Amino acid sequence: MTRKGRRLTLIASALGVLGVAAALMAFAFRDNIVFFYGPSELAEKAPAPGARLRIGGLVKEGSVKRVGDRNISFVVTDTKKDVSVAYAGQLPDLFREGQGVVAEGVLVGPGQFRADSVLAKHDETYMPRDVADALKKQGVWNENKPQPAGDKK
Amino acid sequence: MIVEAGHYALVLALALAVAQAVVPLWGLRRGDPALMATAAPTAIAQFALVAISFIALSWAHVASDFSLTNVIENSHSAKPLIYKISGVWGNHEGSMLLWVLILVVFGAMVAAFSRAMPDDLRAATLAVQAWISGAFILFILMTSNPFARVFPAPIEGRDLNPVLQDIGLAIHPPLLYFGYVGFSITFSFAAGALICGRIDAAWARFVRPWTLLAWMFLTLGIAMGSYWAYYTLGWGGFWFWDPVENASLMPWLAGTALLHSATVMEKRDALKVWTIFLAILAFSLSLLGTFLVRSGVLTSVHSFASDPQRGVFILMILVFFIGGSLALFAWRAPELKPGGIFAPVSREGSLVLNNLLLTASCATVFVGTLYPLALEAFTAEKISVGAPFFNLTFGPVFLPILLLMPAAQLLAWKRGDLLGAAQRLTFAAAAGFVVALVLGAIHGGPVLSIVGVMIAAYLVVGSFVEVFGRIFTRAISVSTAWSRAVGLPRSAWGAAFAHAGVGVSLFGLAATGWGVEEVLSLRAGDVVKAGPYEVAVMSTQTLPGPNYRATVARTLVRSNGAVVATLDPARRFYPTRQMTTTEAGIVTLGLGQIYVSLSGENADGSLDGRVYWKPFVSLIWMGALIMAFGGLLSLSDRRLRIGVARRARGVAAQPAE
Amino acid sequence: MVWVLFAFLTGVAVLAVLWPLIRAPRASVREASDKAFYQIAVSGIDRDVERGLITPDDAAAARVEAARRLIASAHEATSRSISPTRLRVTALAAIVLIPALSLGLYYYLGNPDYPDQPLEARLKAPPGQMDVNAALAKIEKHLADNPDDARGWEIVAPVYMKMGRAQDAAEAWRNVIRLEGPTAERASAFGQALTFAANGTVTPQARAAFEAALKEEPDNAQARFFVALADEQTGDKASALDAYQKLLVEGPDAPWAPVVRERVEKLGGASGPAAAIAAMPAEQREQAIRGMVAGLAARLEQNGGDLEGWLRLVRSYTMLRETDRARAALADAKKALVGNAQAVEQLDALARELGIGG
Repeated sequence: MTRKGRRLTLIASALGVLGVAAALMAFAFRDNIVFFYGPSELAEKAPAPGARLRIGGLVKEGSVKRVGDRNISFVVTDTKKDVSVAYAGQLPDLFREGQGVVAEGVLVGPGQFRADSVLAKHDETYMPRDVADALKKQGVWNENKPQPAGDKK
Repeated sequence: MIVEAGHYALVLALALAVAQAVVPLWGLRRGDPALMATAAPTAIAQFALVAISFIALSWAHVASDFSLTNVIENSHSAKPLIYKISGVWGNHEGSMLLWVLILVVFGAMVAAFSRAMPDDLRAATLAVQAWISGAFILFILMTSNPFARVFPAPIEGRDLNPVLQDIGLAIHPPLLYFGYVGFSITFSFAAGALICGRIDAAWARFVRPWTLLAWMFLTLGIAMGSYWAYYTLGWGGFWFWDPVENASLMPWLAGTALLHSATVMEKRDALKVWTIFLAILAFSLSLLGTFLVRSGVLTSVHSFASDPQRGVFILMILVFFIGGSLALFAWRAPELKPGGIFAPVSREGSLVLNNLLLTASCATVFVGTLYPLALEAFTAEKISVGAPFFNLTFGPVFLPILLLMPAAQLLAWKRGDLLGAAQRLTFAAAAGFVVALVLGAIHGGPVLSIVGVMIAAYLVVGSFVEVFGRIFTRAISVSTAWSRAVGLPRSAWGAAFAHAGVGVSLFGLAATGWGVEEVLSLRAGDVVKAGPYEVAVMSTQTLPGPNYRATVARTLVRSNGAVVATLDPARRFYPTRQMTTTEAGIVTLGLGQIYVSLSGENADGSLDGRVYWKPFVSLIWMGALIMAFGGLLSLSDRRLRIGVARRARGVAAQPAE
Repeated sequence: MVWVLFAFLTGVAVLAVLWPLIRAPRASVREASDKAFYQIAVSGIDRDVERGLITPDDAAAARVEAARRLIASAHEATSRSISPTRLRVTALAAIVLIPALSLGLYYYLGNPDYPDQPLEARLKAPPGQMDVNAALAKIEKHLADNPDDARGWEIVAPVYMKMGRAQDAAEAWRNVIRLEGPTAERASAFGQALTFAANGTVTPQARAAFEAALKEEPDNAQARFFVALADEQTGDKASALDAYQKLLVEGPDAPWAPVVRERVEKLGGASGPAAAIAAMPAEQREQAIRGMVAGLAARLEQNGGDLEGWLRLVRSYTMLRETDRARAALADAKKALVGNAQAVEQLDALARELGIGG
């Protein structure tokens, strides 16, 4: 094969592979990305029930209820709007009332969310960034102050 | 005095880095061998200075010198010694110092062990390395000084983040950094080659051991990090497609591609531009990872305290080195002469395909990691890209690599025989079918697991077809076979093992589909069935630790009534930080593991817990060890080196066979 | 000592640059390295032929390629030269710039005079040389082992207070009282620590402590102040004001006086001499007022143009129930301020108000 032919083969296969990868990514982006909303944004944008989402905010004080062995319900709030979350499973170590939380799952109705995973996997001074941003928008969170309900010494 | 000596040594290392960055390049420009010769001794002295600095900081941590902010914030006098030591790099400032230490270790190693290198290339490489280390020392001194002092010194520190008080911290970051930073030296080699205009097959040979070394450490570092997450997060996950993990996977993919393309460049003088580009890319991705993790763009347990000023500084470093190297690349690349010719179906062709697939898979990870950040920056829309995205993009692109890997090893240089290669792999494919049938019959379960183990078994067997084909030609005696096995180049064995390691890891991954998970409330006396085993909770109690209090569930693992292991899964509460960590109880039985973790305490005294049976799971990490072992075999191949000794004996001397 | 070490390190660093400049430079290894590499490449090809990784025909071509590369690289060999001037410039720059840069930057960043502070040594240092934190840690450890050492608690409590660790101070005082019984001072200090720990709120527990102090020593100023503060915080402002003002009368120059004055002003009371007088026992108060009134009268005799003064004097006499003097003062005032219609009107208004007018 000539040098030119070789180069063409090379370029064609490179384009082929990259094309496949790009097509896969475009396809995956259509179905597999999950939007993140705070409770106020959720109320405002009102995505259709059944949409897969992440929501984040503070766990409302006094809202955590355990039903049976594994079913838990709690309210995520940014102090302006609330979303009630139903979840079946184990809560992470750092899940506490008044602390930041991110839940991933499906919206079942306005202000009603069914989570299939709940994240709070970091230490107590850490506020998930998404949650911090959502709260900042509502004027609840101030980086210079201790976090709301933080029980730091 | 020790502390201040360490501080001064670091400042002095910066001054010396400036000298090392400037003088050899001036010498190169003027063709002055004396100036070029300064590169090596300054690199070694710079290493000594940074080492002094690192030792001083370590001493301060071990001796609980609370006059250092860094020690106050990350240590506690009651902390066990091992965590006092690992705490040195368990924080932003200290980990950056470790980063720089490894940078200069690589510089010093090149200075010490690459005497056979042409002195211009060596001078340019070490000068570029000094640019990098100088930039990072400046970063440390200006934004993250671990030697910042406090007066008067408090009497107690705030303790290390309990999540980091683990043997994993002692091992994972140093390994990972050796890998990450190891690619700095290949970067420096590439930039040095571009500066000297000396991009040829010999260059590939000089750079190869360093690429291998970095790749080995990165492989081990990623595996170790994944195992740490597996046992410390308490729910048995080991890879989350978390941006921080992706940040380490991207350089690994680029580095793996580099390792292969450098072979083509060395043997055939082809793919030169591409190889140089990969060397730049691998380290650029390392820098990108550092930026993502340390700038506060991402928040995770890895980011420590984030500070926008640091982010901007690292971004500047990133832009300078990536931009600078690409500019050099654009300037020099057109001067390259075309190299050896090969047919599409050939060893070279297969390696080109390998490179294409590896970089494409790297690109999918890159897009999946950065797209959410870019989208947020431009539209303020927040999205998360998780496992489903990567399974759908990375998976299909990586699959052909797995399938073609054994075949590629059987193709000849310049022109290969694809059909012949396929015939030689019949046995491997048959082995895959048998394994899939047997395991499918035993476990049933998801099709993906069965297909996965099939490919894995084919891969493991197929990886050795080439070397075994060389050893067992016809009916031969054991001794002949042995002498042939020994006579084969170690790099051939290395490649076989590294490829087989990929298969072994894949086997472990595929088998996760057969795992058993039980989530329940545990009380003393409970018995849970997990796969072929029974897990019995004997007692739950609270025990004091050195700087924590632990709730422990004493648990027995039984097989057919006989006790095979005792586990103590625990939750630890650290009062200084008001934090709880989960300590899973894990035992490896055969290749699988029983994994018990506690996730909470209930008012009635029972403990929320999870019990898993994970068949073959240990293979995931064993595969990585095998890959690294393959790398080590390759590295130990004396033919890889152009030794001083050989040159001393005379150029005409035959390399040892 | 530390500077000797710095000098040594600097010397080593500079030497690392100087050494290769002084040493006779090596000849280029490039050519040798290229040849060595060619050998390796060719033997590698031979090995690959043996392993069947390349066909013999292709191997021959590959060998030719390698040889061509060797020749090409030999053509590229560059000229080399060593210039003594350049060496001298480099050496001088290294000798001057490396120490200048490192010492300059270190001067900006470092603390050369601050010795190491390893914890163990700090805890073992002789008491005189021990820093506060270390001494404290030592006492804490001692107290953890001997929780009944009242003297230890009594030493450590004020230190905690000074460090702002009010909670710990309160705990220490509680222990002192537990072991040694309350004195006014201890109880009051205990109360103060509790108050500080509650960010300035006098908690009921703190109030009880202050009251206990007052039982031992009824005129303990600190305890009285805090009880008053408690009153103020619970809304009993009148009683608080009264207590503050009494404190001010007793010790107008006491170190705590400014704090009390601040409280009084906050409550809208007067904290000057008048307020002090108001706070006095009736008999004393009258005497004091009389003294003041006499002074005022004398002053107005000298300078009669002060309407405010006259008004005050008339009021004072009325308060002292000396209506005659009040009327006389009124008359004097009108005389002194004759011609000032507005002033006279005001005086008349006052007279009507006090019921002493015409």
